[in-house]
Amino acid sequence: MDMDQVKQTFIIEARELLASMEEALLTLEDQTDPSESINAIFRAVHTIKGSAGLFGLDPIVRFAHSVESVMDRVRSGRLPLGPELIGLFLECHDHLVAKLATVLENAPEHPDCQKEGERLMTSLIPWLGASIATIPSVHPEVSPRREGGKDYWHISVRFPPSMFQNGMDPLSFVRYLRTLGQMVSLHSLLERVPTGDAFDPELCYLGLEMDLETDVDRKTLEGVFEFIQDDSRIRIIPPHSKVEEYLSLIQALPEEEHHLGEILVAGGCITPHDLEMALQTQRTEDSQRMIGTIFVEDQSVPSPVVVAALEKQKRFQDKAVNEMRVVKVAAEKLDNLVNLVGELVIAGASAQALANQAKEPRLVEATATFNKLVEEIRDNALSLRMVQIGETFSRFRRIVRDVSRDLGKEIELEIQGAETELDKTIVEKIADPLMHIVRNSMDHGIEPTEVRLARGKPVTGSLSLNAYHESGSIVIEVADDGGGLDRSRILAKAMEKGLVAAGADLSDAEVHAMIFEPGFSTAESVSNLSGRGVGMDVVRRNIDALRGTVEIESYEGSGTTIRIRLPLTLAIIDGFRVEVEGTCYVIPLDTVIECLDLGPFLESEENHLINLRGEVLPFLRLREIFALSGTKPSKERVVVIQYGEVRAGIVVDKLLGEFQTVIKPLGELFRNLKGLGGSTILGTGEVALILDVPQLVNLASQRTRTRTPILS
Amino acid sequence: MAKSTQLNRRTRAAVELAQAENKSQYLAFVLGGEHFAMDIRAVKEVIQYGSLTEVPLMPDFLRGVINLRGAVVPVIDLSVRFGRPLTDIARRTCVVILEVGEAGHEIELGVIVDNVSEVLEIGPSEIEPAPSFGTTLRSEFIAGVGKVGERFVILLDVAHVLSIEEMAALDESANR
Amino acid sequence: MITFEHNQHTLRLWGDLTIYHAAEARSRLGEELARDPELEVDLSGIEELDTSGVQVLLWLKAEARAQGQSLPFTSHSPAVLEVFDQLNLAAAFGDTLLIAPNA
Repeated sequence: MDMDQVKQTFIIEARELLASMEEALLTLEDQTDPSESINAIFRAVHTIKGSAGLFGLDPIVRFAHSVESVMDRVRSGRLPLGPELIGLFLECHDHLVAKLATVLENAPEHPDCQKEGERLMTSLIPWLGASIATIPSVHPEVSPRREGGKDYWHISVRFPPSMFQNGMDPLSFVRYLRTLGQMVSLHSLLERVPTGDAFDPELCYLGLEMDLETDVDRKTLEGVFEFIQDDSRIRIIPPHSKVEEYLSLIQALPEEEHHLGEILVAGGCITPHDLEMALQTQRTEDSQRMIGTIFVEDQSVPSPVVVAALEKQKRFQDKAVNEMRVVKVAAEKLDNLVNLVGELVIAGASAQALANQAKEPRLVEATATFNKLVEEIRDNALSLRMVQIGETFSRFRRIVRDVSRDLGKEIELEIQGAETELDKTIVEKIADPLMHIVRNSMDHGIEPTEVRLARGKPVTGSLSLNAYHESGSIVIEVADDGGGLDRSRILAKAMEKGLVAAGADLSDAEVHAMIFEPGFSTAESVSNLSGRGVGMDVVRRNIDALRGTVEIESYEGSGTTIRIRLPLTLAIIDGFRVEVEGTCYVIPLDTVIECLDLGPFLESEENHLINLRGEVLPFLRLREIFALSGTKPSKERVVVIQYGEVRAGIVVDKLLGEFQTVIKPLGELFRNLKGLGGSTILGTGEVALILDVPQLVNLASQRTRTRTPILS
Repeated sequence: MAKSTQLNRRTRAAVELAQAENKSQYLAFVLGGEHFAMDIRAVKEVIQYGSLTEVPLMPDFLRGVINLRGAVVPVIDLSVRFGRPLTDIARRTCVVILEVGEAGHEIELGVIVDNVSEVLEIGPSEIEPAPSFGTTLRSEFIAGVGKVGERFVILLDVAHVLSIEEMAALDESANR
Repeated sequence: MITFEHNQHTLRLWGDLTIYHAAEARSRLGEELARDPELEVDLSGIEELDTSGVQVLLWLKAEARAQGQSLPFTSHSPAVLEVFDQLNLAAAFGDTLLIAPNA
């Protein structure tokens, strides 16, 4: 195994732990019984400390240790967890994140980072209580060795099973180590040698726990194990080490050796005699008592040691169950799979087209079955890439907390639909736009406390994030109970900027949509968060790029809801093929409502309105929008589409039917293309263009408004 | 589907040979009756013209897109790019597939030519700088003029002729 | 090279008990154990022992215990004693360490 890779894993896991720690800290206050959250925080810090120890990341170990010590007092009920302490823990969390970043860069810690660490450690001291004077030795000083005596290195090795096959023998390591100094004690661990047929005489099962008195340095000792370090578990603890070093040893021990007693003995924290005594006590007393509590009551081990060992046992059990359920896969592999499935879909469509042409019933049937399976594979492959949006939402707890404090507003965040799933690539790209919207709502939406009071609203403003599925797309809502958008101010600003003509009659939706125009901002004061006029137009561009739409529902005085509608995936769509002037175009099927013959027109054809069963439906002709040459056929068809609240007709020459397809981006050269969302390859090998329905409708309504003569 | 003439192995060997002699190789082609050539290192392959899908609302020089083994590749009408009329599609019309753009951000695109004639080997001493007048072509499109026997051939500066930045910007102005 | 000499209830091992013969030793020793419930193993002929050999002996001892047999190891050769000493194994085997007469 590559050391860098192991470190990567450590960092990934540490980040996950820190995220859960933050989440726990932020939800603490809402809970009636916060003990589970407190435990989660403690576990996170504790595990990070343990793992960091394995990599010799001393600054992290030291810092995490201080946090853990205070957390431990909270956990044991000696210290109440109030807002002040939560704030401090959040800062500590941030600092751990920063420290991890330096690990990732393989850089030494920045002096500022160091200073911040020291500041926080100093802030933690008062919380440690009077009984403890110094950091980090917060545990009552228990010498790792009862015997006192000499100072020696502790070396713990679990040799790799393949050792013998590689021509090596643990014996030669022992012999060599003995030449470096005095082997004070050596314990061979042979419990791993299996019994019966499971025993493979050519595998190495040996582990060693050694105490070596020597003058050589760490580097020399590490060098001894150089050739096996990649797949062994080796831990070298220097002389004068504190209890926590042994704690990390317990963390590091192979999981199959999960008996508490053995771990403690092997770690040198207790003697085999202590273990025996404890076991006897356990036997004679109530057998319900766990071995860990006996040690603590007998005062033989500081409780964190026992906690670590017990936790390790529990983790071992949990892991055994979880390993069955979850497999981690590199995102890249999934992307490749989805791409390949996409190609498969195209190839399947091509086969189907050929079969239909050949008019060979059995072939048609076979390809149909084949394509049904491909469709299932596609859905399965895509579902592999689906993730819950909850994690993205949770990040906002912190942002709302911090920003509301900066703004001097009281804002409560409510999260709904956290379990709603969507494509991982979309989740990644939606986080930033969402951030802009949330900040905007806090900054401009929710009113300052005085205003809220004056308006008879509750002092605490409410902000909610909600996600749900709706007809083949996912909807994300950001709602606030603030002042709502100020129609007249937006309109005035829009006229000032020349975005609308004076006296134009615009609907509320049209006015609200103005805030997504570049350079548009009505904020009277520019705060450091938003209000500089960049942001909302970027939001719209990002959402456009995801083939999504955004709409605003706002009521003056009572609040604003911004609704983002996104496709479930970016890679593959179900499409509806239409033909205009001999060219095939694809309309995303999830927008299609129905298809019919064009007509009857309302009043005259020039109005571009038809009467759809008594309802007025505006329509656009693709040949007009796209300025295609040629003449329209005598009989035209209309595809009725709907997205959000908008319903319209798209007029085409011919309807060709449904098919599923892979979206191929058109690339840099077409970056200013309007009305088209990409391309796809048909069964015939030809390229077909995919319509971007919302853009197309916008294009048509712009032309109507600016009275650009529509070509016919 | 278009037939493809892979320029790979044989040409690459020839390129290496020419480099050894300090000569460069150029793909010669005819466009609107005129002879041009371009550095062969940018050329990936030459395919027969066919199955082009027009993209609406694009400037004329962007003729459309084709399917090149599963990738959607834009096709440029070089003649229009040079300020001349649309290229007529005939039996021998070809699409030269090129890789252009900055390192790391290369994109594939095709250019329409009347036909591809030959691969020329031209040494540095046989290349004259671009004339500042006397040609209807914008001077930055010309890398130089190569002398092949008694003939002269205009060597195109592919990076300028097919600058993605410039072409995309043209499209923007065309859209307004 | 390893050879086995079965005389009455004593199985005497000669040669090298190392990774090269570990598989062979394991199967042979297993068979002998199954055949003779009163078996003793004489280690006086062992010239070389490595960790894989130690594992085979440990496994054998555990098998015997599982079947309710005592299976004493006797007459440890200097090579065996040196390894037991290096890895601090005397207690793990629980045998009286008798030095081979010809040592």
